[in-house]
Amino acid sequence: MKRAEYKVPGGKLIAAELGVEGGRLVGVKITGDFFMHPEPAIIELEKAINYTSFEDLEDNVNGFFKDNDVTLFGVEAGDFVKVIKLALEA
Amino acid sequence: MKETWRLIDMRIEDAPTQMAIDEAIAMARLKEGTPNTVRLYRWNPSAVSIGYFQSIEKEVNLPACEEHGVDVIRRITGGGAVYHDYNGEITYSLVAPEADPKMPADILESYKLICGAIVNGLARLGVDAEFKPVNDIDAGGKKISGNAQTRRHGVILQHGTVLVDSDIRRMFQVLRVSDAKISDKLIQAVEDRVTNLRRYLGRQVNFDEARVALIKGFEDIFDVALEPGELTDAETRLVKELYEKYSSREWVFQR
Repeated sequence: MKRAEYKVPGGKLIAAELGVEGGRLVGVKITGDFFMHPEPAIIELEKAINYTSFEDLEDNVNGFFKDNDVTLFGVEAGDFVKVIKLALEA
Repeated sequence: MKETWRLIDMRIEDAPTQMAIDEAIAMARLKEGTPNTVRLYRWNPSAVSIGYFQSIEKEVNLPACEEHGVDVIRRITGGGAVYHDYNGEITYSLVAPEADPKMPADILESYKLICGAIVNGLARLGVDAEFKPVNDIDAGGKKISGNAQTRRHGVILQHGTVLVDSDIRRMFQVLRVSDAKISDKLIQAVEDRVTNLRRYLGRQVNFDEARVALIKGFEDIFDVALEPGELTDAETRLVKELYEKYSSREWVFQR
């Protein structure tokens, strides 16, 4: 399991825990003290990220926020990509 | 005549009960036609509540909680970890429909309005506090209140903490602070970031004085009369069901 956390300057903390199997992300878990409305959307976001290749990560995350009516405070869509990339480097 | 909201005043309950009551009121508000409700409450035993998205292992020093008899619970709201000190903290909650004419549709605006009731209440105690977006209230540059909101069932539920005389040393025994947060240059040492009514005012503030001020703050900001009431039978049934969820390991340890 790889893990990284990132404190958004002036915002909230976001962390990612994940594994890698055959070039794909697995077991992705996102945590932090940010706000996401509706809250259970986090589970859908994790599903959208799971089993994606590194190349597709950014498109999948951006696609998720484009397709779903989700409101964020303290983090932005790009911060999810950023913290997952940090975890991959960990 | 002034609009009347229900006040459920200073119930002292354990962590799963308090969280179950907040959610039950939110669930019943439109379905059962219950009134808009403000609660003030205290947690016994003292408890740590963590935000919906937080990692329990990373945020909470579980052995320290065990040692000191501190409960640990996960909220349905996002945001950070809070130490609810039985002897030094008041929690409030507010439930109103999203469509209520007094409630802004915009989430940030509604934080500002509801936190305004706390700021108004604190001013009555002599505290010059201000709302710090997204969800904090500061006094003298230090946090005195943290707040969290969810919108479910067509309803706004916001709850938050007002630090009265919390044991700040114990707070940092039971909470873990992440390295990333400490290393963020914008954040000073955590101890320097938190205050409470006693520290700020340099005098003891008892719970009764604080609760009266907070009640007036809500009445003033929302232009309502808060009338003491109890949970309905339907809400009490919901509390029993939700208690099971909130006290389950599956819920508390899900992240």
